[in-house]
Amino acid sequence: MKEPENSEATGHKLAFGDYEQAKAWIGRRSQMYVADVPVDESRSKYYCTLAEDGNPSYWDQTWAAMHWGGLITPPGLLMTWVMPLQWDPAGKRESPMLAMKVPLPGDTIINTGTETEFFQPVYIGDRITVIDEIVDVSPEKSTRLGTGHFIVTDGHFYNSRGELVGRNRNTLYRFKARGGQAEETS
Amino acid sequence: MKQTDQRPGWRDYPQKYWQQVEDGEQLPGLELPIDYKRIVLNAASTWDWFPGHHNPEYARAQGQENIYASTILFHGVVDRLVTDWAGPRAFIVRRGIRMQQSVYPGDTLSAQGQVTRRYRDDAGSTLVDIEIELRTERGVCVPATVTARLPEQGDVE
Repeated sequence: MKEPENSEATGHKLAFGDYEQAKAWIGRRSQMYVADVPVDESRSKYYCTLAEDGNPSYWDQTWAAMHWGGLITPPGLLMTWVMPLQWDPAGKRESPMLAMKVPLPGDTIINTGTETEFFQPVYIGDRITVIDEIVDVSPEKSTRLGTGHFIVTDGHFYNSRGELVGRNRNTLYRFKARGGQAEETS
Repeated sequence: MKQTDQRPGWRDYPQKYWQQVEDGEQLPGLELPIDYKRIVLNAASTWDWFPGHHNPEYARAQGQENIYASTILFHGVVDRLVTDWAGPRAFIVRRGIRMQQSVYPGDTLSAQGQVTRRYRDDAGSTLVDIEIELRTERGVCVPATVTARLPEQGDVE
C-alpha cells in the first residue's frame, strides 16, 4: 500500500492498512526497548521548569537523599525516558510506541488520554526499558478532528534493576483530518 | 506537623498528613500562562518532537488552531497541583487524564482540584482521591483524576 506523502512528517513511521488488519494487532507485545540514555538530572530539571514545579524531591539533593534515597524525577516524565534521539550516528531508531505500527488508513495522530500507575519513583541514573502492548483498536469513529480509530496501548516501564516502576494505558486517535480548521460537531 | 533535623544542609518543607485531609477539601489552584516559549520547552524537555507540538503548518493541517501543548505538559501541571498542596513526601500512585480541547500559545492554563475520598487501601496505604480540571479561557480542556499516597502523622522518616 502506498504511503501518503506526509507519513514521515509525523516523525513516526506509521504503518498503513485497514481495520481488519489492525484488529490482528490486538494483544501483540513489543520487544523490550531500552532507552538511548539514562535518566538525567538536566532533563528532569528542564521539565520541572515547564510546569514551574519546585518540588524538592526533584531539586534538593540533601532532602531527597534523606527522604527518597536520592533525587527522583517527576512522574510526568515516565513515558518520555524512552523517546528516541532525533538523530543518531547509527541511524535514528523507531519510536517504541507500538501504536505506530498498527496498520490503519489515518495519516496523523493525536493522543487523547492516559491512565498511569506508579509503583516507585524513577531515580537519576536509572535506565528505563519499556514493553508496549496493543490492548484495543476501535471501529472507525468520527470526531470534530476527522475520521479514524482509537488505539489503546499498555506500556510497562522498568528500571535498571528490572523492577516495574510504572504502567501507562494510552489512548491515541489515528485519523484523517477534515482539513482546515476543525469544526465543532460534537 | 513540623519536623526538625540538625543535619547540615537540611531544610524542611511543609507537608500535609493523611489525617489532616478533609473530604471535599479544595486544593489551591494554579495558573500557567502558555506562550510559544512554553510550547517549545514542552517539546524540548520531553523529547516529544511530534510536529503538532512545534510546526504550526502541520498543526493547522491537523485541524488545530496552532501548535499545541502535549500530554506530558498536562501530566506535569496535574502532578504539581497535587504535590504543591500535599507536600514533597506525597507520591502519585495513579493519574488519569482526558484531553478534550487543545491548549495553544496565548492561552492561560489553570488548574483546580478537590478531594473526593480519603481512605486506606487493602495494603494499608493512606490514599487520597482528587478530581482535577484544567481549563483555558474556552472552558475545561483536560479533566483528570489522581490518587496520591500521603504520609501518616507520626510516620518516622
